[in-house]
Order: sequence, then structure tokens, then C-alpha cells
Amino acid sequence: MEYQHDIEINGEDKYLNICKHNGLCKKEKDSKDDTDSNKLSHIEKAYTTILGELGEDVDREGLLRTPLRAAKAMQFFTKGYKETTQDIMNDAIFDENHDEMVIVKDIDLFSLCEHHLVPFFGKAHIAYLPNKKVVGLSKLARIVEIYSRRLQVQERLTKQIASAISEALEPAGVAVVIEATHMCMVMRGVQKINASTVTSVMLGTFQDNPITRKEFLDLTIRK
Amino acid sequence: MEHSKQTQFGSSDKKDAGTSSVVNGHCDGMVKRPAGGPSQPPAAESGSQRPVMESWREDRTRSVEDNEMRLPSLAAAYTTILRGLGEDPQRQGLLKTPWRAATAMQFFTKGYQEKIIDVLNDAIFDEDHDEMVIVKDIDMFSMCEHHLVPIFGRVHIGYLPNKRVLGLSKLARIVEIYSRRLQVQERLTKQIAVAITEALQPTGVGVVIEATHMCMVMRGVQKMNSKTVTSTMLGVFREDPKTRDEFLTLIRS
Repeated sequence: MEYQHDIEINGEDKYLNICKHNGLCKKEKDSKDDTDSNKLSHIEKAYTTILGELGEDVDREGLLRTPLRAAKAMQFFTKGYKETTQDIMNDAIFDENHDEMVIVKDIDLFSLCEHHLVPFFGKAHIAYLPNKKVVGLSKLARIVEIYSRRLQVQERLTKQIASAISEALEPAGVAVVIEATHMCMVMRGVQKINASTVTSVMLGTFQDNPITRKEFLDLTIRK
Repeated sequence: MEHSKQTQFGSSDKKDAGTSSVVNGHCDGMVKRPAGGPSQPPAAESGSQRPVMESWREDRTRSVEDNEMRLPSLAAAYTTILRGLGEDPQRQGLLKTPWRAATAMQFFTKGYQEKIIDVLNDAIFDEDHDEMVIVKDIDMFSMCEHHLVPIFGRVHIGYLPNKRVLGLSKLARIVEIYSRRLQVQERLTKQIAVAITEALQPTGVGVVIEATHMCMVMRGVQKMNSKTVTSTMLGVFREDPKTRDEFLTLIRS
């Protein structure tokens, strides 16, 4: 797996002990006094500006607290930056003598397109072949949450999920498939309502062995 | 626009008295009602005291030139947001994001640039038809005015013409004008119904919207499968249960 290109992208992954933020870590150290509430009020002011520039009346009743709500909503949509795989995985890895495929499918996923700041959402299907270590099933969904609650590109999201599972469990193989609808394509631009984007990452046995891959695909996306 | 509601069909609108309401950014400096409550609904065809075509005269709050002028400050606001969220606006994927996001947001609120009168004027025809006309499953995309997060769903519109019919795509265009704004689903439903009423003076209008609110799905209560349904029934759709029933049955099928 190639992580070099992940540097500069999507924040520091403490699990790997690699700082993936070129500029920001230093900036974060420099602005330690920029507390969370400070950041929230900056975002809130930015939203007030946006509402005004869009031609709306910022003082009308329905919009009075919108900047604050929108700022909090945006912080919720990007809460994945503050979470690390290590925090959630550490306790839930168990030794188990099981080497058959484990699949968790139809995990609802919501993320933000980093190019337009517009949501994309869909389902993630994850499978792995344990190698003496299994993980609590909800942790797979939590990994999806950590990486999806960020400004993302679907390709990178898929890869990050696969990498995280791979590093945590060292399984014989990992497969991740994401099918998602991008509002940036549906609500604007080409405006194709039924288009859906599918990305997949196959690692280990899933990559080497076509039969394993077929079994996974049959059990997940071929209904 | 709230107050311009309903003319011949009687109004249950609360924002009635006197002051111009500022809704959706529109300060409608139109004919103000005399303070002291709603006036009696005038007869449908005869000269009503109130101007009927009020939404036709609503002013745009912005223009295409406005958009270009305001884009830099919108982009700057988005850059601030990116920084505030802890991201690095200089990384490759985010370099042009403030501009793209600003343009996207302007597109999502392009309803403020458009006027009903522009899209409807040419497409009203005299036709001796008085049976129900329904256009259903109109895809609708809007923005929640409370969280600035998308709302999407379908709109079903039915009306009973009174000698005048409307080009069918114009119903979808009316939906576009009102949905591409910062909205509340209840208000959106009503605005669409009122616009059709004012344009055609039909015997009745029914509008049903079923939508999914991302603010409920992606955050907050996080209920994936929830849908919100709102409806506005005017005229004979409101008064006659059989008509309403026919409309609701036909949009389900």
C-alpha cells in the first residue's frame, strides 16, 4: 500500500505516527490559543457573510440563528478529523481462530465532497479475512464514520478505510466497496439524479484471488 | 411573499395584517393590506379589490451581475470556514474549493434571481378544459434555511383549470424558482400553490411535497429513512373531499 500520496491530505493519523499535514500541524501548534469556541465563532461569522452575499435578509426570523446552526452542523460533518482509529479499535480486537470471510455491509455513509462542500452519501460494504484476530463488528462502522466525517474524495475515503483495517488487524485480505450518490452531481452541474459512483479497494487475498473477490461481491452488491 | 396568499380562496395565513413580510429575502413593497385583519376574499372573476398577480411583481433580490461581484467575498468566507474546520486550504484538493463552493451555493439559491412572470408569461393558454391536470414526481432540491444543508424530494402538483391552462413544464419551473432558495418545506409548498393560483385563477390547486431533510439524516437525530410530507390544498381541493381524494389517489399510483 502506498501512503506517500496521503501526506498533506486529511489530517494527522496518529495511529500511523505519520503527520500527514504539511502545513497545518505547525499552524496548530502556533495557534494553541485558537480554541474551539473561537473557531466556531469564525465559522459563524463566515456564514453570516455568506447569507448576506447570497441576497438573503440576515435579520429575518428564520435566519437569525442559522449561522450558528450551520457552523455547528459543519463541525459535526467534519468531526472525523478529531478522531483516530487507535482510540476506537484498541479494545475491541480479539484473538479468534477464524479464517473465513467476515462481511459487514450496507453501512450508511455520509460525507462532504471536498470540492464543493456538498454532501455525498451512500453505503459501504466491508469484508476481511481474519488472520487470528477479529474485530468488534461495530468498529468497522466506526472506522467508516471517522474517515467519512471529513472533507473527502470517494476514492481516498475507500482507501483510507481499507488501510485502517489492514493496519489494525493485519488480516489476510480486506475489501471495501462504497456506492454513493454525490449531491454535487445531482443538485448542480450535470444534474443526473440517478447516477451513482462505486469505488472499491481490494487488498491481500481479495486482490490476488478472483474467487475470493467474487464471493465478496456476490454477497454484497449483487442482490 | 407570505401575505400575498390567497385572494379568492380565503386565507388562513397568519402574517396578514398590514406590514410587508420579509420572507425568503423578499421585502415585498407591494400593496399593503389595511391593518386590522384579512379582508374578505373577493369573488373569483370579478374585479377584486386586491391586485391578484402579486407574486408576478416580486423583485429579484439579486442579479447575475451581483453574483459575479459577490463571488470573491463568498469565496473568502468559505476559506475561513475551511480553516475553522481544521483543514489546510492550501492543499491541492482544496485550492479552488472556496470558489467552487461559492458558485455551488449561488446555484443552490438561484431562485432569488428569477421571477415567476418571466417563466410563465408566454405559456398560459385558453382551453376549455375543466378536468384535473396533474404533474407528479417533479424532483426538487432545496436548502434548509436553518442548517444550510440540502433537502431533496418530489413535488406533485394538481390543478383544476378554469378556462386557462399552463404549459406543463412551467409547473416544474415554478417549483425550481421557489425551491432553489433557503427554504422551509411548509413555506415552499405554499408558495408554489399560491403562484399557480395567481397565474391561472384555477378552480383549485393541490401541491404535495415529500422530501428528505439531510439535516435530520446526516446529523441531529440521524434518522435515515424519515420523510417529511407537506401539502397545500386551495379552492375546490380544500372544499371538496372527493376532488382531494382523486388527486391523492392519482399521485400515489
